[in-house]
Amino acid sequence: MESLILELKQQIIEALNLEDVTPEEIDNDASLFGEGLGLDSIDALELIVLMEKNYGIKLKDPAESKEIFKSINVMADYIAKNRKK
Amino acid sequence: MIHVLADNITSPLGFDTAENLRQVSLGRSAIARHEGMWDLPEAFAASLFSPAQWEQLHLPGHSPFEALVVRSIREALTHTAADVVAGRTCFILSTTKANIEALQSGTPADILPAEAARHIADSLGLKATPIVVCNACISGVTAQVLAAQMLESGQYDYAIVAGCDVQSKFIVSGFQSLKAVSDAPCRPFDLERRGLNLGEAAATIILAAGQPAEGEWVYEGGAMSNDGLHITNPSPKGTGSAAALTKALGDLDKRDITFINVHGTATLYNDQMESKAIEAAGLADVPVNALKGYYGHTMGAAGILETILSLHAADSGTVPASRGFEEAGVSGKVRIAGHPQPAKGHHVVKLISGFGGCNGAVVYGKFPQAADTRCLPPATAPRAEHRVRILPGQLYVDGVRQPLPTTEGKMLTQLYKARVGDYPKFYKMDLLGKLGFLAAELLLQRSEGEDRFCECDDTAVVLFNHSSSIMADREYLGSIADAGNFFPSPSVFVYTLPNIVTGEIAIRNHYHGATALYILPDKDEALMQQIVDAAFRDGHTRRMIAGWVDAMDEENFEADLQLLTLPQ
Repeated sequence: MESLILELKQQIIEALNLEDVTPEEIDNDASLFGEGLGLDSIDALELIVLMEKNYGIKLKDPAESKEIFKSINVMADYIAKNRKK
Repeated sequence: MIHVLADNITSPLGFDTAENLRQVSLGRSAIARHEGMWDLPEAFAASLFSPAQWEQLHLPGHSPFEALVVRSIREALTHTAADVVAGRTCFILSTTKANIEALQSGTPADILPAEAARHIADSLGLKATPIVVCNACISGVTAQVLAAQMLESGQYDYAIVAGCDVQSKFIVSGFQSLKAVSDAPCRPFDLERRGLNLGEAAATIILAAGQPAEGEWVYEGGAMSNDGLHITNPSPKGTGSAAALTKALGDLDKRDITFINVHGTATLYNDQMESKAIEAAGLADVPVNALKGYYGHTMGAAGILETILSLHAADSGTVPASRGFEEAGVSGKVRIAGHPQPAKGHHVVKLISGFGGCNGAVVYGKFPQAADTRCLPPATAPRAEHRVRILPGQLYVDGVRQPLPTTEGKMLTQLYKARVGDYPKFYKMDLLGKLGFLAAELLLQRSEGEDRFCECDDTAVVLFNHSSSIMADREYLGSIADAGNFFPSPSVFVYTLPNIVTGEIAIRNHYHGATALYILPDKDEALMQQIVDAAFRDGHTRRMIAGWVDAMDEENFEADLQLLTLPQ
């Protein structure tokens, strides 16, 4: 799980161009949107692409992603359970 | 007075305005579900020309996009006796993606919108340098506002305003990646709406300055306003849209408005936002209708096509039904026309919104009831406060060359780190966005010092370029070109609209004035000056960030921006 979390953080930093952010700075339990990392709706859509590209997980309904993208821990947990690659 | 001389709609429903009006009044639409088209993994519904129609529309030596525009303008010209082609005529082309289909194999001359516009102008024998309006979904309304401003300047007698977009894998996959597309016919303002349909069409409106004849439509006003909030999400309260409406209407009697034709894309957020804007503008009692259920979202054509159809529907005494609408699914107080209604009043309003945070509205009135009530200020030349120029390896502020950071890395990123540093969204922008953003930052640091970021209703952002969004276009194409590695990127797709840079500047600085991006065949200083001077005569703009922002590739880019103000 630890390595998946680190890998996921690195992928998020790259996909969302979070240039000044390091994996250590992202709190595993902090909210990704709003306060936390300050991501927005386009970032959420980009995370949907990331899930499909890197883990073969297709999210049909963007509303469903709201729960999954709650924090790094929630996201990593979902990936571990549902990944196809 | 500026009035409508002639028009054309060329769509899958018909190749002239009369046929389009007939089809719409019969409730017909060409929107159909397409599965497996262009190898797209997801189905979508769209209004597309049939192969047989494309055969009819074909023009040797022209791309499908160019053929559509040429045919639309030629047909429009048959409805007026005036010699528009040989006269003092301004040619404005509204499009978002023009010949984007040529991106994979073509040269810049085949791809770039300004080149298509030049080719079209040559075909028609038009002498004026074409101006391409590339202002996302509001392009067609921006084009009409610009045309009116150019005619008001007294330097032209006629303006040919044409809008067009042709659908493709590029565009459809992009809107799908934004989760904005429905695979069923769209349902504007309805409780069950699930997204937009794309559409292809061309539309032309020919405007003239001078005395209108009885029964002609007069351009009574037009305005643009930026939300200054987000590059894709509209203001939840419809602030910018309401501001555009209010400015465009001036002191016109609201009880005499026949109807408001809304953008009505059938996405959750757009329609909700528009309902709030209409209520906020005090227009809750005016009938409202949307035409996307007949045509889909025809992008660069939409603002023009929907204006023309609305004027002709009003002429025929009808408020057209909003096809697809059954039960209201918006919280703003609005009167959606679900069925055709008898038209009353003498004024028609077209409302529109788009990515980059831009909103626009135009108002037409029937002569002689129409009154040109706008208080246009006298022509005063704006004063240039400051000028910033950025080129590869060079930076000039007010004509003086400045040292660049000596740190390793890309020049613009190093410049951002050294001179700005507090806006991480910078890293998400494409090169065009970074370039415009940085040049504006350096301008405003020079001018405003610490006194920045107050809400400004009177500040506009008007930018010009030649290369459109070619870098983002190429990057996005890279994400969809390989069927085995097909992952269209929503964040890259957004930047394939070059006007996003105007939105980035408006968002950063809380500007709510007009924002527009125009594409020209080259850096024509005289023409840019003419457009900027005309834009200052809207009665609202007192300050403007204006100039050239072009990014061809990593080695070829230039920003040359000025901060302009009207003397008190």
